Amino acid sequence: MTGRGAPPDPAKPAAPGVHPKPLWSVRPASDREAGDAIVSNFLLHWFPAKALKASLDWNYSMWLGTVSAALLLLLVLSGMPLLFLYIPSVERAYASVKDIEYVVTFGSWMRSVHRIAAHLMVAVVFLHLARVFLTGAYKNGTGRGQRREWNWVIGVGMLLLTLFLSFTGYLLPWDQLAYWAVTVGTNIASSIPFAGPKIRELLLGGRAIDQPTLIRFYVLHVIALPGLLGVLFVYHMWRIRKDGGLARADREALSGERREVPPVKTKTYTLLGIASGTSPAIRATTLEAPDATVNSVPDLTRRAAIVVLGTIAVLSILSVFIRSPLEEPANPLVTPNPAKAPWYFLWLQEIVTDTTVHIGSFTINGAFLGGVILPGLLVLLLTVWPWIDRSPAAAAGAWFATSRRTQNLVFIALALAVVLLTLVGLLCRGPYWNFYWPWEQWPEIPARI
Amino acid sequence: MRKDRREFFLRLGTGAGLAALAAQAGASLRSLVPNVSYDAPTTVKLGSPAEFPDGLKFLPDQRLFVFRDGSTFHAISAVCTHLGCTVRAEAMSQPETSTVEGAPLRLTHRFLCPCHGSKYTGDGGNVSGPAPRPLAWYHLSVAPEDGQLVVDLAREVGRDFRLMIA
Repeated sequence: MTGRGAPPDPAKPAAPGVHPKPLWSVRPASDREAGDAIVSNFLLHWFPAKALKASLDWNYSMWLGTVSAALLLLLVLSGMPLLFLYIPSVERAYASVKDIEYVVTFGSWMRSVHRIAAHLMVAVVFLHLARVFLTGAYKNGTGRGQRREWNWVIGVGMLLLTLFLSFTGYLLPWDQLAYWAVTVGTNIASSIPFAGPKIRELLLGGRAIDQPTLIRFYVLHVIALPGLLGVLFVYHMWRIRKDGGLARADREALSGERREVPPVKTKTYTLLGIASGTSPAIRATTLEAPDATVNSVPDLTRRAAIVVLGTIAVLSILSVFIRSPLEEPANPLVTPNPAKAPWYFLWLQEIVTDTTVHIGSFTINGAFLGGVILPGLLVLLLTVWPWIDRSPAAAAGAWFATSRRTQNLVFIALALAVVLLTLVGLLCRGPYWNFYWPWEQWPEIPARI
Repeated sequence: MRKDRREFFLRLGTGAGLAALAAQAGASLRSLVPNVSYDAPTTVKLGSPAEFPDGLKFLPDQRLFVFRDGSTFHAISAVCTHLGCTVRAEAMSQPETSTVEGAPLRLTHRFLCPCHGSKYTGDGGNVSGPAPRPLAWYHLSVAPEDGQLVVDLAREVGRDFRLMIA
């Protein structure tokens, strides 16, 4: 990209903020050019001109947020052609998905990109949340106006949206998985005391699962939820900039360690900042030291490009080899045996199985306790955790800070419980949701009644 | 004094604007609540009683088990009371007769749910798994005009309900 476009006319001085090159400099010749590249480029304007080296560290953030964003981009891109090919009608939805899979040129590949990206996004968004928790990155440093806790809340909302997008997405083929997932999902809503049946009716667009149901979930999947996710995503990114970058930067600022560094010619210093000695030297905090930061162009942009393009490459190749399954057409007459949810909802399926409680003659349906109350409490706990966390600000931006050991252990224990329940649902449940070890043979069950 | 008036109108305007927005949002959302239900009718003719075999017949469209013991009929719902999957009937190797709510009943099957493993006895009683309630029993009758068996899916009955056909 360097060297392309009209050469800058030396007779005309560059207007401030106007970058003389048409795209941006991959190899800027000066700090000035690197800064201009950010300011004048639409795609780059959300980056700071300088980035802290420590924040770019692969081992700190693992770039999981960027991977999530890349997956979201892929989902939008692969969703576009599917929008033209899919027909949201109970009579024709299944056949149109079957056509995408078996008739449309490259249809199977596009559907696989969409499906695998969706599955990975659930996993990566959760891992991103785990990273932020385990590094205490929702904690504010000493900066004024920081609201990292609210960006965490936005993040929890985005995880829920990701799950709801997945749910509404796998309903669209209108196959057996879809039909029975709607049945169970909306009956969970229906188990809420008093308002439940009304909520179910609102979700279904009637009292039975039919065309109004499909069109509702379709509109949610292609317009309402992606739109909301997009708004939250933009705000999430904006907040990171307003909060002063990653929490890692606060940590560097807080460490307050000063060391002597050579002065930077373009900076002005107060007399107090200049240390005594024969050659001029500056006593700077780690954050201010010129070797602590790098120009965002190209150091940050290069890594972001590696992550985004790498995600796209891995997804594209995986999708060539992994075909997307399609179950039998939706059949309200027969529930599959066993009827398993996708892996990320199996822990919920386990919980609703195990939480019906009988107290005397009084019974609480597991659908309500395990399907509404327990997951609701988990989400509530996640949401308010930054206000429960009383650890010092120095615990932010570092993996497994000792002052947050108990919190991290609680989080890991809860996450492991969810993983364990998922594994039980995935590997150890057979016909009639009976428990079988993975190496046990399932008994013969007649296909129908 | 003037400042108070300005403040009052500012608040009035803001409030009116917000109220208008809320009302329009409410109206838009209200349109999504269905006013008419095009559900299948709840009273359904099931065919002549003679077409029903002794023992159990599953009617998938109504998600209903109809039992016949000679000239006695009763009907149990196949909809699991936990989360609404269709339960499957499994014939018992040794049918047994027990007294359910004071009336004798021959139990030939038990019911199992494929979604979360609820188990029901032959009279619909929930015995294990997450099901919170027994399976529903529905009212059966004979249509006066053509003698067909009729189920009323909106009318639950007790477990001592029997339809006797002369």
